[in-house]
Amino acid sequence: MSEIIEVDNVTFGYDGRPVLKDLTFQVAAGTFLAISGPNGAGKTTLLNLLCGVLRPDSGSVRIDRVDIHSYSIRELARTIAVVRQEFVPVFEFTVTEVVLMARTPYLSTFGFESATDRELAAKALEITDVARFADRPLSQLSGGERQRVFIARAFAQDTGILLLDEPTSFLDMKHQVGIYDLLKKMQLEQGKTIVTVTHDINLAAQYSDHALLLAGPQAGCRWHIGKTRDIFTPGRIEEVFGVRTFTGRLGREKFFLPLGEYAKDADVLSSAARTDPQD
Amino acid sequence: MIEGLTPKKLLIRIAAGLAVLAAVMCVCALLGTEKISLLKVLDGPGDVAAGNTDYAIFVGVRLPRVVLAALVGAALACCGVVLQAILRNPLADPYILGISSGAGLGVVVAIVCGMNWTFWGVSPISVLAFAGAVATVWLVWFIGHLTGKSQVTSLLLAGVVVNAFFSSVIMFLVSVAASEQLRSTTLWLMGNITEKSPAVLGFGAVSILVGILALFTVAQRLNILTFGPHQAAALGVDPARTRLIVFGLSAFITAVAVSLSGLIGFVGLIVPHGVRLVFGPDHRQLLPLSAIIGATFLVMADTLARTIIAPEQLPVGVVTAMAGGPFFLVLLARYTRKVSWLQ
Amino acid sequence: MTKIWAILTAAFALAVLFVLSAHYLGGSGDITSEPNDAGLPGEPTRIVALAPNLTEILFELGLGEKVVAVSSDSDYPAEAADKRKVGTFWQPNVEAVIAAKPDLVVTLSFAQQKAAAQTLNRLGLKVLTVKIEKIEDLLAAIGRIAVVAGRRQQGQELLDRIKMQMDDLKSKFSSTRRARVLWVVQAEPLRVASANTFINELIELAGGENAIGRTISQYPQIGTEELLACGPEVIIQSAMSKSDIGGQQRNAEVFWSKWPTLPAVKDKRIYVVESGTVLRLGPRLCTAIELIGRCLHPAGPAREQNAEQQVKLTDD
Repeated sequence: MSEIIEVDNVTFGYDGRPVLKDLTFQVAAGTFLAISGPNGAGKTTLLNLLCGVLRPDSGSVRIDRVDIHSYSIRELARTIAVVRQEFVPVFEFTVTEVVLMARTPYLSTFGFESATDRELAAKALEITDVARFADRPLSQLSGGERQRVFIARAFAQDTGILLLDEPTSFLDMKHQVGIYDLLKKMQLEQGKTIVTVTHDINLAAQYSDHALLLAGPQAGCRWHIGKTRDIFTPGRIEEVFGVRTFTGRLGREKFFLPLGEYAKDADVLSSAARTDPQD
Repeated sequence: MIEGLTPKKLLIRIAAGLAVLAAVMCVCALLGTEKISLLKVLDGPGDVAAGNTDYAIFVGVRLPRVVLAALVGAALACCGVVLQAILRNPLADPYILGISSGAGLGVVVAIVCGMNWTFWGVSPISVLAFAGAVATVWLVWFIGHLTGKSQVTSLLLAGVVVNAFFSSVIMFLVSVAASEQLRSTTLWLMGNITEKSPAVLGFGAVSILVGILALFTVAQRLNILTFGPHQAAALGVDPARTRLIVFGLSAFITAVAVSLSGLIGFVGLIVPHGVRLVFGPDHRQLLPLSAIIGATFLVMADTLARTIIAPEQLPVGVVTAMAGGPFFLVLLARYTRKVSWLQ
Repeated sequence: MTKIWAILTAAFALAVLFVLSAHYLGGSGDITSEPNDAGLPGEPTRIVALAPNLTEILFELGLGEKVVAVSSDSDYPAEAADKRKVGTFWQPNVEAVIAAKPDLVVTLSFAQQKAAAQTLNRLGLKVLTVKIEKIEDLLAAIGRIAVVAGRRQQGQELLDRIKMQMDDLKSKFSSTRRARVLWVVQAEPLRVASANTFINELIELAGGENAIGRTISQYPQIGTEELLACGPEVIIQSAMSKSDIGGQQRNAEVFWSKWPTLPAVKDKRIYVVESGTVLRLGPRLCTAIELIGRCLHPAGPAREQNAEQQVKLTDD
């Protein structure tokens, strides 16, 4: 499998304080990577480095073996799609208009969409189940519906790589699962490479292939990458997140339930085994 | 299957709009303090100078005014649209980035210094208004980029600062001016459509039309830009470059408009909103339609300005403000967003 | 990005140079074609005047019947009020001028009228533009209009008459001591006429001197301090409207009684004059000078004075 994203010894900081130090990892094409870590660990910063918005202080980011900053803006838009946290624009664009905007990197100067563009957009609306909102302005949708629209837009952009920044943080359970199902479907059926930044370890464990844990500057900017089942272990999680969890094995993956001192079942942590001896 | 905006649909709407504009212009050119008839106009100029007075009035006085009103209306409306898009602010108008006070300062300097030369038939007031407008925009752009932080916010703040400073200079100059000069300044600042020579009109027309057409080429990018710079970049639109192009073009167009007709308010603010309410925010459609409707609106406003208290004339800026406000309220009340039968 | 800055700055500098050079090298603004004796085939038969003083000049030259349209503020002589109107002196209505089918249009030289003159000129009409800002301008203008309209002789006669009257008045009102006069254009805020106005020329011919002197602007706004410092002996105020001059006179006296130390207030030498005649620089120049002269060299107390003058004026 080819490495489509390569992060090579990247260091980045704000005002002299480093947030990411000597970060090196690769993402193979057609895989699903979850990036997680405590607040301030640099997850969004890393996402911005991966889409070219920020430049690393040292080291490089390569997309398909080419340095990301040597791509033109249009070329990059045809390669990477970014979904950020939900957003309401100033003007009342409809869902259809928003999704059609994804075709911009492929349009001519006067910018009119061709039949192919419309087909792709229509398919994107179908697959994210927002087709029934096609003519409604974005502001009339709920947060979750809006998030699906932005994902539909990313899909219509027809790129090989999809970067998402906490796509489910404000959503209810049904929508959270719906979105992850969708992403997984895109990965498996379309061969897209998915990278999500997420707080939700459990969903990440169930859906992503690999995980990158960032410990953050408070822990010396350490990072760990590997298969989800190797990274999401109670020991690692306690180390990086500073919280104890009750761990249980579901099947292929585990689940983690963080419990604080005053939690009702806090005693479960001290008593029962620290889960699987295989950790 | 999705429909969306097709070139065919857009061209039909533009053609319809242009037809309406042409009709309005012809009708308005036939209205005025003197009664003229179209039949007599068609008789031709007559053998002695101004022999056929209907023709002389129609061609020499009314048509240039109507054409100028159309040009300025289109210019202001377009600039309003694009500035609202790049500043992501629905309250932006063409004067927001200091142009009004810069042009005003140029004009006041010209009047107070008693400049009397003409430059290829253009009065010093027009030249200095243009120069003042362009210089101010440059200054605002420069100040706005000093901080290097959020571009849009620093631009807006720089505009406010420059506007305030130049306004104070204007007030100073005005207080040492003689009373007739004062009156001239005020009249100019309220916006006036007057008869201009064909040369000046031609130059203005070419500048404004070329500028507006250039803006059409970035219309699609403006859609994306309203989502913010990061989202725009992710979709392949360079926000800094687009902003610079748009800013430069709209500054130029507005400066030309202001130098020809003074500060006419309201057009650049409400026409984009009105068109957006009826046709939606897609800039590929919004820009050309705003230009056409802005032109129509100002032609009608100017006709009203010169007939309502005939034989005296109101400054057209007064009419746009008085007519524009309530008109916009009605529009807001009747349409929530696109009405389906208009699609 | 810096390259763009360099280009923009260069463009800006060029633009500034461009404008400055135009200011110093550009030709003067006289754009109207000056019809002279050769340009006009014969005498004009349909004349339009765009200002009240121009109307008066034309009528004085005996051209009253040839005048077909005047500005709406042309109220003298009485026949002028019956003529067709073409907008105000401040905003001439070009359409109305064209509709009047003139073969000569006479305009003043300030900005609003200049624009109208340009348009009319462009349409092929003969336009004569004169500058009337001082008394000598007025005399020159009368001469030019007379020549162009083919009334050279009447023009000369009018000029001679005016000059003679001026000389008479000058000697009549000359005195060893010149009264200090404050001419008030507007009471609140206080705006006065300074020494570089034509009003001042009238004052000086009437034997007075301007209390304020020369200032930067022609009609400056002054404060109480300057007012008290200049200590005017006579205050002349132009009336706000034509009606009830008597009432306005009384109001003025009340207004000025705020400053009882002023010589003008102490001696009760406050006059409200009807501005139509005085502020119009036209052939009735000498009437204006006489009116002012009577204020400065009074025969009786102010109020009677004024009433007498008003009567005199309406008899004219």
